Amino acid sequence: MVQCPSCARLSEPRLVCPQCGGPLAAETDGFAALGLSRKLVIDPAALERAYHDLSRRIHPDRFASSPPKVRDASLRATALLTRSYRTLRDPVSRGIYWLELNGEKLNQHNNRVPPELAELVFEVQEQLAGLRAARSDGAAQSGELAAGIAERRGELARLIDEPLGELHRNFERWDAGGDGGRAPLVGELKAILSRIAYLRTLMRDVDRELEDAKAA
Amino acid sequence: MARILGIDLGTTNSLIATMHGAHPRVIPDPKTRQGLLPSVVALTPEGEVFVGDEAIRMEPHLTVARDGRVATVDFPGGGEGAVIRSVKRYMGRGGADLAAEDRSRYTFTDVSGPVVRFKVGAREYTPPQISAEILKALKRRAEEALGDKVEQVVITVPAYFNDGQRQATKDAGLLAGLQVERLVNEPTAASLAYGLQKMASGRVAVYDFGGGTFDISILNVKDGVFEVLATNGDTHLGGDDIDRALVEFTLAGQPDPVRNDRHIWNTVRLVAEDAKKILSFQEGVALELKLLEGKLDRTIDRVDLERLAEPFVRRTIECCQRALKDAGLTPAEIDATVLVGGSTRMPLVRRRVQEFFGREPLCTLDPDQVVALGAAVQASILMGTQGDMLLLDVVPLSLGIETIGGVVERLVFRNTTIPTSVTEMFTTAVDNQTHVDIHVLQGERELAKDCRSLARFKLGPLEPKPAGVPRIAVTFLIDANGILNVMAADEETGRGHMVDVKPSYGLTDEEIERMLEEAIDHGDEDIAERLLITARNAAEQIIAAGRKQLHDYARLVEPGERAEIEALMARVDAARHGTDREQIENLVEELNQLTTPFAERIMDGAIKLALEKKTVEELS
Repeated sequence: MVQCPSCARLSEPRLVCPQCGGPLAAETDGFAALGLSRKLVIDPAALERAYHDLSRRIHPDRFASSPPKVRDASLRATALLTRSYRTLRDPVSRGIYWLELNGEKLNQHNNRVPPELAELVFEVQEQLAGLRAARSDGAAQSGELAAGIAERRGELARLIDEPLGELHRNFERWDAGGDGGRAPLVGELKAILSRIAYLRTLMRDVDRELEDAKAA
Repeated sequence: MARILGIDLGTTNSLIATMHGAHPRVIPDPKTRQGLLPSVVALTPEGEVFVGDEAIRMEPHLTVARDGRVATVDFPGGGEGAVIRSVKRYMGRGGADLAAEDRSRYTFTDVSGPVVRFKVGAREYTPPQISAEILKALKRRAEEALGDKVEQVVITVPAYFNDGQRQATKDAGLLAGLQVERLVNEPTAASLAYGLQKMASGRVAVYDFGGGTFDISILNVKDGVFEVLATNGDTHLGGDDIDRALVEFTLAGQPDPVRNDRHIWNTVRLVAEDAKKILSFQEGVALELKLLEGKLDRTIDRVDLERLAEPFVRRTIECCQRALKDAGLTPAEIDATVLVGGSTRMPLVRRRVQEFFGREPLCTLDPDQVVALGAAVQASILMGTQGDMLLLDVVPLSLGIETIGGVVERLVFRNTTIPTSVTEMFTTAVDNQTHVDIHVLQGERELAKDCRSLARFKLGPLEPKPAGVPRIAVTFLIDANGILNVMAADEETGRGHMVDVKPSYGLTDEEIERMLEEAIDHGDEDIAERLLITARNAAEQIIAAGRKQLHDYARLVEPGERAEIEALMARVDAARHGTDREQIENLVEELNQLTTPFAERIMDGAIKLALEKKTVEELS
């Protein structure tokens, strides 16, 4: 139970006090923060509406002249709300977060390359190493190499988009009760998410290298 | 709730605005009727301060006398003083950030410390102190116009300002005796002003090219919620840069003594700024400038100006590309583009923005005023008088901590909606370690040395324990102003830890405290001083008027009245040489009442006289 800093009454952990409507600095999970049930399929428009509606009620701008305790609760509640919204808005981070809530931690930092991506990953790493070397030598062809990598970026973006449909189908099956048992579904979900997470990390490396090349 | 005002503390000009009913309005100077206050501050070695046009006139320059001769005008009282322009460029900057050009323009006392310090005679001033003078001038202006004290404000900052620059702005507010209720990003403020008028909704790009800074913000405006999706910019890119290029261009080919002369440079700068403005609606402009020896004749075409400005404008478009990429949008997906800042008056800028976004940009609201108007709207949101409107802004730069090998581990990614918080677990590396040092950085690069140092924290003192046993949860919270707050707690005991913060740039709390003791008392003194002067002037006037009337209308004075009035006048005169304002005001009021019958007789007499005169005139 949490105590409301505005009306001092106790309530279940949530972001808005059900008694007086004031902000509550409660520790809740992201789904509860946004007042959603723990379903994997989320309607983006409904999610945005919930986010905007809650923001209007608990944002620090609404409590600029309130006592420090209420302002502090508003700040913490809004920080949690915002973080939850960001996590749930993106299907990949939502999936990973959902697995975590269900005690299935996906190792985001795993370095094991999904076998079907091995060749591509190897090529991209080679290209990045080439660009780094060319830049440290001050070689003239670094611009050309950067252009090649930029092209490769497009290919990665397509590879990231492809499994999103598959991910959505998996989400639906899970929400529907999981025909054929939940364990295989979790395994499948983990495989898809690992693959996308891996590609995204690779993409971030590519972006950072390209930004560095531009900045230098 | 008390009134909150909106302030645009700009590089070139500053403004203050408030709501008039449902509409935001800029408060003009009561005397000059000007809304814009030039952000120029003149400081004398004696500690006197002048702000705005007055300060501009004190800049060393050339002048042409009536006989056509050219003379130099120096800082009044011997050139020891300083006239500081664009102080915003120095906010949150350390000595090491200064360029050779800065050092050639101003004298600094400390060129290695965490704060830039301008040297003026034996005194020194930090950028927040100088900005505070601009804020005080705006505060005075608003107090005179509203007839009420101004204590709470919203101040705008470039969206791309880092933590140190934001903190410095907040410090400036404190030093001006103002409570800064919120720092709001300039492009976002502009979107509020447009949004209030329902002139821009959906996905809005705000292109804000000002005197010293550039920002681009992409927003999603829906049902009164203004949600920033991404922001990008450059806090050292603005109209100033174009002016400088134009001065160089104008002085090209001149011998070094001419090019390096301060008087000539300042004069050409003013002329160049005017030329730039004229070239926004004219194809060419002829400059003719008399120098001490000889003169400078030059024609500048819009083509010349655009060639000089192009590299700067290109940089703004690159920022737009990055912001769109972060927002995950293409230019075609933007519903409206809004132009903000004086530099967007240039046709070249409008063309490039139109080309990039593929639609004609909006500039319905005055680009010089729109940020201040938006600040007033945000102020009314904080006062709770703006219905359901809400602003959700983002942090412009990623925040991280330094880890092994000088690599930055990111905790908050850029364009995360604020307020936001992240909690990280820290522990000790060696047995019985009593402190843990944490280095916080802001920026997008991989290595700490390439990012901007934000602050260093010392956690502790910790109880001596084996390495790795203590578990301290550190929460990094970025508030709605975009400023970092750090809290730490021992996971085991839940006890809060002292966090000893050492900001890498800017003033320490102690320094602010010290300056505040001087400045705030001074600020109240300022108001008291002004009120005292007003009372003294009123006393002086009433005594002078009384004496004149006693002399002119001696025949209307009743027996005994003269002695009574003169005795009270002597008391008023004595009081006006003292410092008790209330006493002066009370005595003046008393004198007023005492002389009322006499004044009425004078009025009657005057009317009679006028009637008599009229009759005589009519007769003749």
